[in-house]
Amino acid sequence: MKTIFYFLFAVSCWFTHNADGQPKKSAVKKQVNLNLVFSNTIDEHPVVLFDSSYSNPFAENFVLTKVKYYVSGITLYKSGKAISKSNQYFLIDQVNEKSLIVHLNFPENNYDSIGFLLGVDSARNCSGAQTGALDPMNDMFWTWHSGYVMQKLEGTSTQSNLPKHKFEYHLGGYSGNNSVLNFITIPFPGGQPLSIKKSTLINIHIHAAINQFWNAQSNIKISETPSCTTIGLLAKQMANNFKTIFSITEIK
Amino acid sequence: MKIKIIISLLFTVVICTAFLYDANPFKPKYLKLFIPKGWPQPATNIFAKNPLTEEGFQLGRKLFYDGRLSKDGNFACASCHLQFAAFANFEHDVSHGFNNSFTTRNAPALFNLAWAKELHWDGGINHIEVQPLAPITAANEMAETLENILQKLSTDSTYKSMFKAAFGDANINSQRMLKALAQFTGSIQSYNTKYDKVKRGEASFTISEQYGYDVFKKQCNVCHTEPLFTDNSFRNNGLDVNPDLNDFGRMKITGKITDSLKFKVPSLRNINITVPYMHDGRLFTLSQVIDHYRKKMNNTQPTIDSILRNKLLITNQERIDLLSFLYTLTDEELIQNKRYSEVK
Repeated sequence: MKTIFYFLFAVSCWFTHNADGQPKKSAVKKQVNLNLVFSNTIDEHPVVLFDSSYSNPFAENFVLTKVKYYVSGITLYKSGKAISKSNQYFLIDQVNEKSLIVHLNFPENNYDSIGFLLGVDSARNCSGAQTGALDPMNDMFWTWHSGYVMQKLEGTSTQSNLPKHKFEYHLGGYSGNNSVLNFITIPFPGGQPLSIKKSTLINIHIHAAINQFWNAQSNIKISETPSCTTIGLLAKQMANNFKTIFSITEIK
Repeated sequence: MKIKIIISLLFTVVICTAFLYDANPFKPKYLKLFIPKGWPQPATNIFAKNPLTEEGFQLGRKLFYDGRLSKDGNFACASCHLQFAAFANFEHDVSHGFNNSFTTRNAPALFNLAWAKELHWDGGINHIEVQPLAPITAANEMAETLENILQKLSTDSTYKSMFKAAFGDANINSQRMLKALAQFTGSIQSYNTKYDKVKRGEASFTISEQYGYDVFKKQCNVCHTEPLFTDNSFRNNGLDVNPDLNDFGRMKITGKITDSLKFKVPSLRNINITVPYMHDGRLFTLSQVIDHYRKKMNNTQPTIDSILRNKLLITNQERIDLLSFLYTLTDEELIQNKRYSEVK
């Protein structure tokens, strides 16, 4: 009997300690489940693809058929200092409801803001074939100019002069002047640090107000620019609009 | 108490089984990329996150020759990258694709890719593993989707066992397929030309070849740098844009007007068997190529390479000797190497 317990004790030590005998970090700081719940919205309501009742700030009517973007490097902060960072990549895809909820683990602590990169960092863009959220089968990889598309927004509008009245914004480019990557930080509501503890499941609700995309910094009119599918200034302007659309509505 | 003992015993059995399982791990045969004596180290190790193994290489080799990677089954990678042409598309200025279509550029030869940086004539591809995505999905090349390919491969028991041998389990996904292809294409090497043998003291140049080598060192070596015979840069070598193709090369990738009409400097290794020449295959003989550099090029383009502003001074005799030297760059061992051939 005792032998078995000694054996089990030895096994458990082996599992919780690194080779140098130091306890693993996880044994010190408890990991807490944390969910980011993304909601792409128009006028505060969740986006419905193929809904024909939308119009943008320029009174251009539109129908959304695709809303997809990458979120990565999710970081939690306390007093402006990065405390913990996730190294995972997530593809938020409006057609895939499951993708709107991002499941994370962070160590117990007090945090007051969250940050993340919109897109895939340049190092990972140059690291060859990937899988999971970064699998090229997710149709977010440019084959003729290697690299991940940061965001795809597609739909139709009678204002578009493209065939089938389509509009298509594929924002890509990860290096130098052509980078569309933006890291955004969002303070928690009320400016109060939040104690993230094991006892509670925390859902951080993040709204992406799609209609801010059209005119947050630069004006994007469907009638004038119904498409953007290459790197360059236009993609950067659109990305700069896109980065402003995120806000935390509640944490519970 | 009994239950506790039983649970403890069960747990122990599970742990022991895990150890036993571990005692029989996935043990592929690891390989190492050969770096010929005197060659530079590759700028980045393309196999750093894709350990080169015999099993991975063999899987990549099978995929490379498999027409099922294309929509109608007719276009394997090897259809446009032929071993006897140093894995270029012999005698085709541009290549044939799905449904009687044509590509817009000359299929490059494939060898020494571990030393390449960006791939494609415009350098649009930043890693060897993601390169196949371009020809596989292009409507005028293989015209297939990854979903369909994985579907086709997963119904083939040979592939199942080969993926298992290469990666530890029979899971077939796009990442593994691309990594295996990179293991094969990244292992194709050319270092046994007559030139290499002369350098190693195993052979000697004829007088004409030696004169040609001297001309080469004076006129060509800046861009076609030994021993790879390319410096991997992008340059405008004075070819007027073809109005039907409107291909401005590197500019499409960087968005910079200063990169207009710049294309990747190809290696001169195996140049005699990779006819035709230039990014769109517009020149059909090596004599034409030399005449391009000494006479016909348009050196008035704003982005013309500074080395070519005054064209190259190559006399008629030098031209003949240079050709003799270029013929020494054909690697018979590469094109005969059974290890790179289709498994019949």
